[in-house]
Amino acid sequence: MNRYSTKIGRRQFLVAGGTAMALLRRGKADPRPLFEEIPPEASGIRWVHDNAASPDHYLPETMGPGCAFVDYDNDGWMDIFLVNSGPCDFYKPGKPIRNALYKNNRDGTFTDVTEKAGVAGGTLGTFGMGVAVGDYDNDGFPDLFVTAYGRPILYRNNGNGSFSDVTEKAGLGGKVFENHWTTSAVWFDFDNDGRLDLFVCSFVDYGTTSHFSCGDNKLGRHFYCIPRVFRPTASLLFHNNGDGTFTEVSRGTDIEKALGKGLGVVATDINNDGLMDLFVANDTVQNFLFVNRGADAKGKTRWEEIALASEVGFSQDGKARSGMGVDAADFDGDGWQDLFVANVDQEMFSLYRNNHNETFRDVAFKNGVAQATRLLSGWGLKFFDYDNDGLLDLFLANGHPDDMIDNYSQQVRYREPLLLFHQEGGQLHNVSADAGLVFSRSFAARGLAIGDFNNDGRVDVLIGNNGGAPLLLRNNGGQENHWLGVKLQGTKCNRDAIGARLTWSAGGIERSRLKNGGGSYLSSHDPRDVLGVGSAGKIDWLEIQWPGPGRGRERLTDLPIDRYITIVEGKGVVS
Amino acid sequence: MRAIALLVWSSLIALGQPPAEAILRHAIELHQAGDMDGAIAEYRAYLNQVPGNFMARSNLGAALSRGGHYEEAIVEYRRALHDQPGNTPVRLNLALSYYKTSQISDAAEELTKVVAQQPKERQAIFLLADCDLQLGENKKVIELLSPLEKESPDDKALIYLLGTALIRDQQPGRGQLLVDRILRDGDSAEARLLLGTTKMNAQDFAGALADLEKAAQLNPRLPDVFSYYGMALAATGDTPGAEVAFRKELDSNANDFISNLQLGILLKQEQNYDEARTCFERALRVRPGDAAVRYQLATLDIAGGKIESARRELEQLIKEVPKFVEAHVSLATVYYRLQRKEDGDKERAIILKLNAEKQANEPGAKVR
Repeated sequence: MNRYSTKIGRRQFLVAGGTAMALLRRGKADPRPLFEEIPPEASGIRWVHDNAASPDHYLPETMGPGCAFVDYDNDGWMDIFLVNSGPCDFYKPGKPIRNALYKNNRDGTFTDVTEKAGVAGGTLGTFGMGVAVGDYDNDGFPDLFVTAYGRPILYRNNGNGSFSDVTEKAGLGGKVFENHWTTSAVWFDFDNDGRLDLFVCSFVDYGTTSHFSCGDNKLGRHFYCIPRVFRPTASLLFHNNGDGTFTEVSRGTDIEKALGKGLGVVATDINNDGLMDLFVANDTVQNFLFVNRGADAKGKTRWEEIALASEVGFSQDGKARSGMGVDAADFDGDGWQDLFVANVDQEMFSLYRNNHNETFRDVAFKNGVAQATRLLSGWGLKFFDYDNDGLLDLFLANGHPDDMIDNYSQQVRYREPLLLFHQEGGQLHNVSADAGLVFSRSFAARGLAIGDFNNDGRVDVLIGNNGGAPLLLRNNGGQENHWLGVKLQGTKCNRDAIGARLTWSAGGIERSRLKNGGGSYLSSHDPRDVLGVGSAGKIDWLEIQWPGPGRGRERLTDLPIDRYITIVEGKGVVS
Repeated sequence: MRAIALLVWSSLIALGQPPAEAILRHAIELHQAGDMDGAIAEYRAYLNQVPGNFMARSNLGAALSRGGHYEEAIVEYRRALHDQPGNTPVRLNLALSYYKTSQISDAAEELTKVVAQQPKERQAIFLLADCDLQLGENKKVIELLSPLEKESPDDKALIYLLGTALIRDQQPGRGQLLVDRILRDGDSAEARLLLGTTKMNAQDFAGALADLEKAAQLNPRLPDVFSYYGMALAATGDTPGAEVAFRKELDSNANDFISNLQLGILLKQEQNYDEARTCFERALRVRPGDAAVRYQLATLDIAGGKIESARRELEQLIKEVPKFVEAHVSLATVYYRLQRKEDGDKERAIILKLNAEKQANEPGAKVR
């Protein structure tokens, strides 16, 4: 339990009121809200998402945007990348549409470096959706894969502040994504060869030049079709050839056979076998859990889709839900990865606890998540320890896909509130009411990324809003708790160390965390892990289990506290 | 009905006075005086001596029914009808007892026989229509009442029942004409309920909500009004309000099918499995073979770890309703939990096939 919580009982909380509690959680001297909006005037982030909203209501209009925390210049400070729509068959913008890359000025402000970096996009045929960040060429500089309705783009980081569109050269252009509307994507190393591979969610077959209209609603206006009407498609897995090119390897596997309407993906290891699996949230069809069974006799990785048997594919009533955002984390600290899916209103979100045998149980109701999300539609989401007490909490960004829902429903709204759950003793509690004024506002939220943009050891939040400005939230929580920020750098394994497991001991409590790939919706996160240790003044030891055939372990002691360090595989702490 | 029977019986008694007949006469006197317990005891004493007496047995049924002992009345009526299967008044009484105990399908079966024998018996016709509505047999109601509509165009009860059936049968055009006829006489709960139901069927939940709220205000005792109001509330996201509405309906009629089913589903979501089971069991009593209710009970079994029980019910369900996708999903889950992977995989294949068929009926990315 958070040590501040132990000082203030439930009764005191009720008497003092939520605001007072929120203040006390951060120490009596700190009057700031737990999460504080940094307005564009303060941050310098003046970019606004263009959702291409039209009277015809083309479905891609309501699906974006994604966002990312990315240290593109490797200066140790998180920069921000924001994805925009773009000109396509149904949208001819009156003015240029551009993505945005904001460089972190290390003082809480950002500078737009989009043009210099060459990542503006805006080219015909790419209606941008989301972004996956990963150092696929292991050169130490993060690269960007921008998904889209239309042509996705792979931007290779040149290491000098600029990027190059290498989509075609990498084998990801041409017809590879024909008839695929790509949404979330994730970089991960499925075959442990030390190079990041790429999984790309494919949403529905929306057509390429003309599109089915669902007609008029009772207001006499076109509306966004429920994706049920469109055909499902297969998501795509690409193997990194190590020479800057990729080969599609999903052919003949369950990934190709499983026709879905993928919106969210997380790469994780659900059975602790050292091989990264994939959990995909699908809209209006069942979710998929692709378990990595390793290489067959011919060296081809076998993928087994087991969502039905694992009980993460459907609701308790046997119905497919409208899965959108996903994440994986060992939220209950038992050493096994649990799963989360955000669904549309009335379906309630799912929190799947791992039973340690490749099956799961939905414990969303037990944790108050189901009740809190009945009227909400969730997209971006992430487990992280916002107050550095060592326990994973949960942040949810919501918004209804139908921009006219307010006219039909008394309860469900287009713009919806954010939700924050704090974990205490293995149980999640909705603390949104105490987490700051921003939680009393409503948003058309879509993507959500987490990252510590001010390097204070408290993980901040970035949210992409459909047709609006992004929302940057500074985390003021856990001021009296200690932490250690860890950047892992693989040498034998993939440089981003996706799949590594960190285990640490502090104050007599041992905790562990798996470096998953992806999670949330259309978004990418700060690659560093912030290990919260609560009131413990030091970390006794930290053990890294690197991904790969040997799964080598390194145990580190005499570690600093309340600062970031870099650990290189085989070399220990280097900075 | 009961008065006629007693009169006839009184006349018979007047013909002779055997010892047993004195008991019977006393029974009738007590019955007429409203002493049901006394009458029941005397009828039983008489029937111990003369077990084959039809009228005494039907009178016993009537006394039991009037005393609220419907299940015992059903036994006596059925024994009476065994001797005289063509006796329509007793069959109608049997149907009424079934109706009172919410054994709606049994009531409908008996009423169908009564109406076949006496096609002009309006009480039986209306009661049968009400039963069929509860059973979801809307087409039967339309078939039953349509001929009467011409004969009695101003009969509000008839118009209401027929209008309800038409609207529930997705025939809003003809249903709306009947609603308009009701509305001609001013705003009424019946008209509002019909309008709300029409809008619900058209997926206009917000519109339905307004009408159903008004209907509930105008006549909170109108059967089904809170059931439909609850469904409209649930469809517009107010599940706590829906739960309250369903409970109000059940306060009036503890065996209401819709409210029991819908409240059970909400309670199951809240993991209040015991109360959910009570609701589903009540709903199943009204519609004994209902696949949706049986499915819900099976999912409760899964949640409660009664896997074998769930398996049996789900296997039966998919035999009866082979395209019940959700039942296949749950059965697959059960097989996987039972380590019957091969059977689970078979169900998985069926689910994929059924979903593919369903998807094929969707328009896809057609040209705008």
